Amino acid sequence: MSIANVPLISLITFVPFIGALVVACLPRSQPGAIKITALIFALVSFGLSLLLLIGFNPTNPAFQYQEVHDWIPVFGIQYKVGVDGLSVLLVVLTTTLSWISILASFRPIKERLKEYMISFLILEVGLIGVFVALDLFLFYIFWEVVLVPMYLIIGIWGGSNRIYATIKFVLYTLVGSLLMLVAILATGFSYQSTTGSWVGAFDFVNLQHFAATTGFASNLQIFAFLAFFLAFAIKVPMFPFHTWLPDAHVEAPTAGSVMLAAILLKLGAYGFIRFALPLFPAAAKAFGPPIIGLSLIAIIYGAIVALVQPDWKKLIAYSSVTHMGFVTLGIFIFQEQGLQGAILQMVNHGLITGGLFLLVGVMYERTHDRTIAKFGGLAGRVPVYTATFGFFVFASVGLPGLSGFVGEFLVLLGSFAYNPAVAAIATSCMILAAGYLLFMFQRIFTGDLSDFLRGLGNHLTDISPIEMLTVVPLATMIVLFGLFPGLILHTIQGTVSNVLTELNHVAAIHVFFWQ
Amino acid sequence: MSWADLSTIAPLAAAIIVAGLVIVTDIALPGKRVPALVVAFIGLAVVAILTIVVGAKPETAFGGAYKVDDLTTYLDLLFVAIIAVTLMFAPDYLEARDLPLPEFAAVLIFALSGAMLISASADLLVLFLGLELMVLPGYLLAGFAKRDALSTEGAIKYFLLGSFSSAIFLFGLAFIWGLTGTTRIDGVATALKAIASGTDPLSPGLAMGLAFLTTGVAFKIAAVPFHYWTPDAYQGSPTPVTGYLSVVPKVGAFALILRLFVGALGPISADWDIVIVLLAAATMTLGNLVALTQDSVKRMLAYSSIAHTGYMLIGLAAWSSPNSRIEGLEGLLFYGAAYAAMNLGAFGVIAALQRRTGISSQLESFAGLGRREPFLAILMTLFLLSLTGIPPTVGFFAKAYIILAAVQAGGPAGILAVIAVLNAAAAAFYYLRVVVYMFMRDPKGEPAQIVIGRLMRTGLVITAVLTVVLGLVPGLLLTLVGNAARALTL
Repeated sequence: MSIANVPLISLITFVPFIGALVVACLPRSQPGAIKITALIFALVSFGLSLLLLIGFNPTNPAFQYQEVHDWIPVFGIQYKVGVDGLSVLLVVLTTTLSWISILASFRPIKERLKEYMISFLILEVGLIGVFVALDLFLFYIFWEVVLVPMYLIIGIWGGSNRIYATIKFVLYTLVGSLLMLVAILATGFSYQSTTGSWVGAFDFVNLQHFAATTGFASNLQIFAFLAFFLAFAIKVPMFPFHTWLPDAHVEAPTAGSVMLAAILLKLGAYGFIRFALPLFPAAAKAFGPPIIGLSLIAIIYGAIVALVQPDWKKLIAYSSVTHMGFVTLGIFIFQEQGLQGAILQMVNHGLITGGLFLLVGVMYERTHDRTIAKFGGLAGRVPVYTATFGFFVFASVGLPGLSGFVGEFLVLLGSFAYNPAVAAIATSCMILAAGYLLFMFQRIFTGDLSDFLRGLGNHLTDISPIEMLTVVPLATMIVLFGLFPGLILHTIQGTVSNVLTELNHVAAIHVFFWQ
Repeated sequence: MSWADLSTIAPLAAAIIVAGLVIVTDIALPGKRVPALVVAFIGLAVVAILTIVVGAKPETAFGGAYKVDDLTTYLDLLFVAIIAVTLMFAPDYLEARDLPLPEFAAVLIFALSGAMLISASADLLVLFLGLELMVLPGYLLAGFAKRDALSTEGAIKYFLLGSFSSAIFLFGLAFIWGLTGTTRIDGVATALKAIASGTDPLSPGLAMGLAFLTTGVAFKIAAVPFHYWTPDAYQGSPTPVTGYLSVVPKVGAFALILRLFVGALGPISADWDIVIVLLAAATMTLGNLVALTQDSVKRMLAYSSIAHTGYMLIGLAAWSSPNSRIEGLEGLLFYGAAYAAMNLGAFGVIAALQRRTGISSQLESFAGLGRREPFLAILMTLFLLSLTGIPPTVGFFAKAYIILAAVQAGGPAGILAVIAVLNAAAAAFYYLRVVVYMFMRDPKGEPAQIVIGRLMRTGLVITAVLTVVLGLVPGLLLTLVGNAARALTL
């Protein structure tokens, strides 16, 4: 068997699953072995995903490393996986943050460590699976597989209000995703009734071709797009479907928040780019303007609400709403810079917000409190931590030279071409963003040491080498992509042109009276 | 009667003989549990083998009143499997409560013969005979814990409403017989086809007959608004019996629906399909809404089983549209098997927990189970996820199949697909509530460890493996289901 025949994608996806099985067999009395085993399997998956990235050919717009096996032949359902530029980036992002999160959980998680590591590894399987699945049915299965471990992670290892948060998270997600299931089945059936065969009815590549040539009927497009939209909008989360997010983020353990912010929120945006736009382009165009409106509301609303949050974690959670608003804005202006910026922003948000949550977790370990008002003057006591946190804050604000800037800039550029007013509204919000983040930074780190922190005495230590190890890779990538955004833009060029070519070919369905 | 007739009914005859042998064993070796159990299991294996052998080629017997086809084989194998698993769950539970096992096994196998008779009947009277033979042992089983007031109350309710609905059903059959002049299912279908091809609206007699028949079966499958007996009967019954009651009589009644509504009343489906749509919508919605408010897991599962009846009815609704004849039936049949595996499993876990008497099925008693009994808690989580419809479990695929059929059917059935998924999302709340108690709350006090018998453990593992494997590789079952569905539409 030559290298080319190795089912690399399946290996990346299922190595964590094997890890979960191995961890399940380890004795509970050996927490060290459990931690190391989980970390090793996550690292193996990470290493393999780097091989995938190296072997990936960005000039080829087709899906690469494809693996196809019949699964439920009666309905043409396949185990079909493959990657293009977008998915390869997100897979690497997932594997990176997975091992980082597992490493970051070594100290905080003391109870039921074994179950925790198993949940985390299964979560990784689901997340990678979503990004590589090229069969709609398979995609849906991985999509739901993500739900259960996250439900347990928040519900078992979360904060005081964890049960409320986790059930809210699950119910929100399920309502959207089950309607998406109906839409997926309706899409497959629509293909079957047009072509007379179930073969390839759930095969994304095939359906994409079908959508580009024959096209799905208007009614189906509208229904299916709305169902997909609901599922993805809840995951992103877009305003007004975002209310599960602050609860879930605040209650989840640190590593859970990291995965939630860095990867789970990307599932929705990925779904839009991968499935909703290419399969239902005419409906997407029809619903584009209202979605842009919702994105603008999310950008501004998130920023304003973030300004007044008394809790560290909640503040960052609301900043996610703003940042993801930029992503959906970039996607739905149907314009090259916009889409490039949206994808960049997806990666950046994963790195930056992931880092911020990790750092909040570091401090929470020491103080067991996240109320901003109780903090103050940290800079004098923990200088290294302060510098690191400051770095991520500036990355989040969008300081030129760091990756956060490029993504937002491209989105703004694209939206200016679309409509200057939209760009103006979005830009004004960047000022707000600088406001709430810097205001938070100032309150926590500058001034005199607060009484609360003084009371902690020697517990208030600076960031430890292992904790540093969890954020350094993220910081490195933030600088790297800030200086050389071409690395990402080059990788995703195939995806971007594929999506946009098709969209430019179709006219919007007339749904609203003004169209 | 000829030798050919006898060989055709061999599986059914074997089931009745096995039930008799179990009793004889008990009389010969009184007070011993193991021999009767061994006889029962060997007997069930023989019944299964005979079913496969006889089912190899379609056959009719007794002048066309009894028919063996792929549907019969599929359903019979399903029934045998359910009975076998129920028998695995029962010994631990019954022993702890000093209830006799051999009688239990014998009654259970008598019920099996009734269900098998339904699945093979080609005549309305045989159908009714099978129905009664199936439900009568059910009344006995529901009241099996005869010193327990709740069990007795549940059994009486079940018996009264059961007999009442049987009478209604029989009344409906009489109308059909009076109008068509025959009790043979194919004869009825031919006669009704002549009626349906005319432009006249349904005659009052036929309408009455349809109404009575629909009401009768709606009672049997516990469709809303004819479901009131279910929660009491389920909650009061000994837990292994509840598992059985939630599956065999329901799937058996669906077998009756397939033979009667699809087989005999199929030609006039335009006159009853909207009723099925309404029943399905009401059944799943109400079942789920009431389940949301339950604090007893057994009662919650009783209402959830009502909701699952609603999902299965979608398959029937989809059948009545020409777009999705086969898919509707396949979905219904697949759902039946999936539901059997996961629901039996869930009740099995409760039965295992109740090995020590005095443990209720209140949510409170599940608190901290993940720490106390990781094996049971993980299995329960699996079954609950499957009931919710989360992949990669069989419950997910079954639901997806039903929804696919409904989408294909379009029209009112298409709306059912949307109602069904919204219901599934609501159902997630109460299923996951049990998971919350098991893993996210601490137990009150320190209850002793529960010893799970080997047979019970085997039964739980079997249902769990089926729940996962059939979800991952549904193709294994799809062939059987496909053949069964086609046998009915031929």
